[in-house]
Amino acid sequence: MLVQFYNVSKIYPNGVKALDDVSIKINRGEFVFLMGHSGAGKSTFTKLLNREEIPSRGQIFINSHSIIRMKKSQIPIMRRSIGMIFQDFKLLENKTVFENVAFAMEVIGAKTKEIRPRVLDVLSMVGLIGKEKSFPGQLSGGEQQRIGIARALINRPVILIADEPTGNLDRETSIGIMDLLYDINRKGTTVIMATHALELVKVSRKRVIVLEKGKIISETNAGDLR
Amino acid sequence: MSFFYNLKYFSREAAVSMVRNRILTIATVTTIAICIFIVGLALLITLNANNFIDRLESDLEIVVFLDNSLLDSQIKDIQSQIGEMPGIQSIAFVSKDESLSKLQRNLNTNDLNSLIGENPLPNTFKIKAVDAHQVQDLAIAMSNISGIYKINYGQGFVEKMFQVTVWVKNLSIALIIVLAFGAVFLVATSIRLAVFSRRKEIYLMRLIGATNWFIRWPFFLEGISMGTVGSLFAVLLLNICYRSILNNIPDITLFTLVQNSAVLVPLFVSLLIIGIVLGIAGTFISLNRFLKA
Ligand SMILES: Nc1ncnc2c1ncn2[C@@H]1O[C@H](COP(=O)(O)OP(=O)(O)OP(=O)(O)O)[C@@H](O)[C@H]1O
Ligand SMILES: [Mg+2]
Repeated sequence: MLVQFYNVSKIYPNGVKALDDVSIKINRGEFVFLMGHSGAGKSTFTKLLNREEIPSRGQIFINSHSIIRMKKSQIPIMRRSIGMIFQDFKLLENKTVFENVAFAMEVIGAKTKEIRPRVLDVLSMVGLIGKEKSFPGQLSGGEQQRIGIARALINRPVILIADEPTGNLDRETSIGIMDLLYDINRKGTTVIMATHALELVKVSRKRVIVLEKGKIISETNAGDLR
Repeated sequence: MSFFYNLKYFSREAAVSMVRNRILTIATVTTIAICIFIVGLALLITLNANNFIDRLESDLEIVVFLDNSLLDSQIKDIQSQIGEMPGIQSIAFVSKDESLSKLQRNLNTNDLNSLIGENPLPNTFKIKAVDAHQVQDLAIAMSNISGIYKINYGQGFVEKMFQVTVWVKNLSIALIIVLAFGAVFLVATSIRLAVFSRRKEIYLMRLIGATNWFIRWPFFLEGISMGTVGSLFAVLLLNICYRSILNNIPDITLFTLVQNSAVLVPLFVSLLIIGIVLGIAGTFISLNRFLKA
């Protein structure tokens, strides 16, 4: 079992209960959709996974290690095994596409020699070759989203967490990105994807967890969704 | 070790940050330079004042005037009594004849004798204390010995001199402390602004899995660089000023400047180190506030 949530609740300081007694298990190599209306708690779920937020109650295990009781010095190491695609992209506006992606390797102390070829590799994977020298502000929403995807992939994570990776994209581009994620999943990476794009989920035959007001209301295979 | 391994990255980040916030960087470097310059100036003044006072102190002596009626054996007796007192460094007998010939030499005449007849000067002892601070106590103790009619030890002057010494020392220490706080505060502000202008980046770094030390190092290098450059400027300027004073005002009879490089070189090196320490301290203060969780 790669990811385990045990009775996890998250109440934000302002009193909003974003997750309510959530228990879930995700296997290594799985591809899981996290669905729900806006405000259902999908982003909160992903933020708990990389310890950006800490649950108010309950326990979370990754690879059988509690990430709540984990030593502070272990947190960066845990985070390196998780690739995050953020709903709000979190791109650095004053860095080029290349630098934004290379950044993720630099900050964990990768060798300079290894960085360049690897960055070009993932940039071609997401179809951004030729845009390396552009700044995020000069690119379209879909292209910016793909910088975030490249950055999440560059350190070969064990788990890829994608929060609305097709957020503002047209159907065509969305399908392209889905194919990319399926491909990464086939190569062994566990993928957890939050979305409310039902049409993408329906055709996928993957596991779907549906959240509503912070509670899991159903866990099914995509084929069963109406 | 991962620090040396990533040194290139850290230096580049520090340099980029300093260039990006160049106005603040220049302000901080200038302040450190001014601070170290004044600290150095205060230290040089203290050093020279102490040197001057030391020389005055070593010149301090007690002069004991003896009754003219004393026999040689009584003089010997007084000499041994004084010699046995604790804290006496040396005691020298100056006979009335020696004093007279010295006076004649000073006045450039030979026939003072014929002028005044009998030698009116007393026999004296010239005494030096091991510690100049004890001069007064020793003089009081000697006044109890019979056969002595007067004791001179620069009454009043000694006390005043020690007061001035203490005052100079305290004032320069206070000034240095105030300035050092000012410099640390400015470095801290500078680093805090650098951190603030990059807070998004830092937040992202942490989410991606950068260690706290990896995030801190560029800022430390930034603080260290500003400290080094600032104090280097100050030391150079101080050196130039001091040398030009040395060269232009050669021999003032009473007050000479310290020019011993065995003293000056360590002083300038210490100033450099103080500048770097100020840079580190300032960075440390502002970095301690974030990176908590
Ligand atoms: N930092 C926060 N502080 C306070 N409340 C928050 C915070 N983040 C989220 N919330 C609240 O928690 C609830 C769940 O938010 P969350 O972002 O997890 O929803 P979501 O399912 O990702 O929604 P969307 O589809 O719009 O992205 C919402 O009511 C939101 O207002
Ligand atoms: Mg969300």
